[in-house]
Amino acid sequence: MAIELADIRFHYSKRPDHKVLNIPLWSLATSDLAFVHGPSGGGKSTLLGLLSGMLTPVDGQLTVLGERLDIMNSRQRDQFRAENIGYVFQQFNLIPYLNAIDNLLLAMRFSSRKNTLTLNNKIKDLFSALNIAEQAWYSPARDLSVGQQQRVAIARALINKPKLLIADEPTSSLDKANRDAFMELLMPMVKDNQMTLLFVSHDFTLSRYFDRVESLDDFNQLQEAK
Amino acid sequence: MLTKLAIHSLLDRKGSVMVALMAMTVSIFVLLGVEHIRHQTKENFSNTVSGVDLIVGARTGSLNLLLYSVFRIGNPTNNIHWQTYKDIASNEQVKWAIPISLGDSHKGYRVLGTTQDYFHHFSYGKKNRLAFGVGQAFDQVFDVVLGAEVAKKLGYKLGDKVVLAHGIAATSFSMHDDRPFTVVGILAPTGTPVDQTLHVSLQGIEAIHFDWQQGVKIANSGLSQSDFEKANLQPESITAFMLGLKSRIATFHMQRTINNYAPEPVAAILPGVALSELWSMMAVLENTLLLVSALVFIAACLGVSAMLLASIRERRREIQLLRIIGAPPYFLFLLIELEALLITLFSCVLSAGLLTACLATLKDYLISHYGLHIEINLLTQNSFFLFAAVISASVIVAVIPSISGYRKARSA
Repeated sequence: MAIELADIRFHYSKRPDHKVLNIPLWSLATSDLAFVHGPSGGGKSTLLGLLSGMLTPVDGQLTVLGERLDIMNSRQRDQFRAENIGYVFQQFNLIPYLNAIDNLLLAMRFSSRKNTLTLNNKIKDLFSALNIAEQAWYSPARDLSVGQQQRVAIARALINKPKLLIADEPTSSLDKANRDAFMELLMPMVKDNQMTLLFVSHDFTLSRYFDRVESLDDFNQLQEAK
Repeated sequence: MLTKLAIHSLLDRKGSVMVALMAMTVSIFVLLGVEHIRHQTKENFSNTVSGVDLIVGARTGSLNLLLYSVFRIGNPTNNIHWQTYKDIASNEQVKWAIPISLGDSHKGYRVLGTTQDYFHHFSYGKKNRLAFGVGQAFDQVFDVVLGAEVAKKLGYKLGDKVVLAHGIAATSFSMHDDRPFTVVGILAPTGTPVDQTLHVSLQGIEAIHFDWQQGVKIANSGLSQSDFEKANLQPESITAFMLGLKSRIATFHMQRTINNYAPEPVAAILPGVALSELWSMMAVLENTLLLVSALVFIAACLGVSAMLLASIRERRREIQLLRIIGAPPYFLFLLIELEALLITLFSCVLSAGLLTACLATLKDYLISHYGLHIEINLLTQNSFFLFAAVISASVIVAVIPSISGYRKARSA
């Protein structure tokens, strides 16, 4: 199993009476490609925060790739995230003043899988596979088009060969053509590398790329918690 | 990668970083300048005279006597009689005596009337004797020996004629132009006021004032060279004199003897004691200057920190991104500290460069107007301590924004 949630409860410490998550049981098998949709403010980002170790559950067991995130300390969670999880946001996936290559090098800095000899080749292969033109490699990330930025973001998320890739509305800032191009590039890469993908979006048209489609409301049982 | 990130991040915020950098540079410039000039002045003064046990002049404050006799700063209050000099110089404790007579100048450089003993006994720095670059000591009445700086600045060489001016102003209306002196020697550079002095014999001083009355030149006196040689040019009074004693143990006894000299009120001072008196007087001023420049520097440090603190808010998403790729919160702490450190280091380099340029530009002015030899080389042990203190202080002050960055990272 890539993800196993049991009796997960979460609320932000500033608003303890506002329950955000209550998940009795949910899991995602290794190499599964899952699409989770739900309305804005429905706790999608919070769930992703828990899975990536940025947040800790108030209660419950949170197992990701066989490791209990809920009992790790913050240092261990940071290290775990750097090693095992790739993450793509809706926007601001890159340090705007660094060029594409440096953004990838920065991402590799926190992972222990550093191999400086093959490093640049690895980055260049990845860029070529993602259709990123060579002149875009060396210009600051903010000068790239939104489509290019999101493709470099995939490269950044994949450079450490994570076992779990989390995508948080990665296509929401793209137009239709760019969105389709993004998906056409992302899905084969994930499959080739046998990664587990958790893709969160409110755009239901994307669900056709996935074998498992779920609504967050189906397993986040807020009504019963009250 | 951390360094690269810090550098690019600073370059990305050129505007605010430049202003902070300028504030920092100016403050380090002031701090470094005050500290450097303070040390150089002290060294300069301490090196000016050595081996002189007592300086004797008309009764006045010891500082005043020291300043005008050795540093050519200020004016003598009164002259002392030649007889007084002879009486004291003939004391059995006295090894050597150098009479000095001041009051004339040449293009702003002071003229010192003395005897040949000056070149034998006067020493500076770590007991260095005066050495001749070219030529030799004066022998004739109208011979002059130039200090290194005088010869260099005014372009004199051996055999040139020099006209002395009455009084010590740079521009004098009363010239001794009827009696020019011949350059017979140029001293090697010493880095002391000797370099800015023209040395003539006491007889020379007497000769140019020979037929003057009440300090005013009588026109067309028509005296020839041979008239001076015949005339008795023994001076009646001198400004001061320096003494070397046979035994240093006798210094205080000798000082008391001179201070009790009955025929005329004279004072004897120990140059070292007078110098330390000078330092203790200057200490208050020095410390105030240093304190003010230190405060200016702390203000600049706080300015840099304020700039970094403000930047953290606008970098919220950058911090969030760094966290998601696995950066622990202390990485943000280090990043902000490094940015402060880079600003400080760059400011150090800039201000050192700026100060070097300023000193190089002002060097001649300081020498000619204040007789101050400021070494341009800033790479002294002292400056390194100062740089170390500056860098540590900025790192400590930068803890404020760094902690804010750390906390932001924890909650991202």
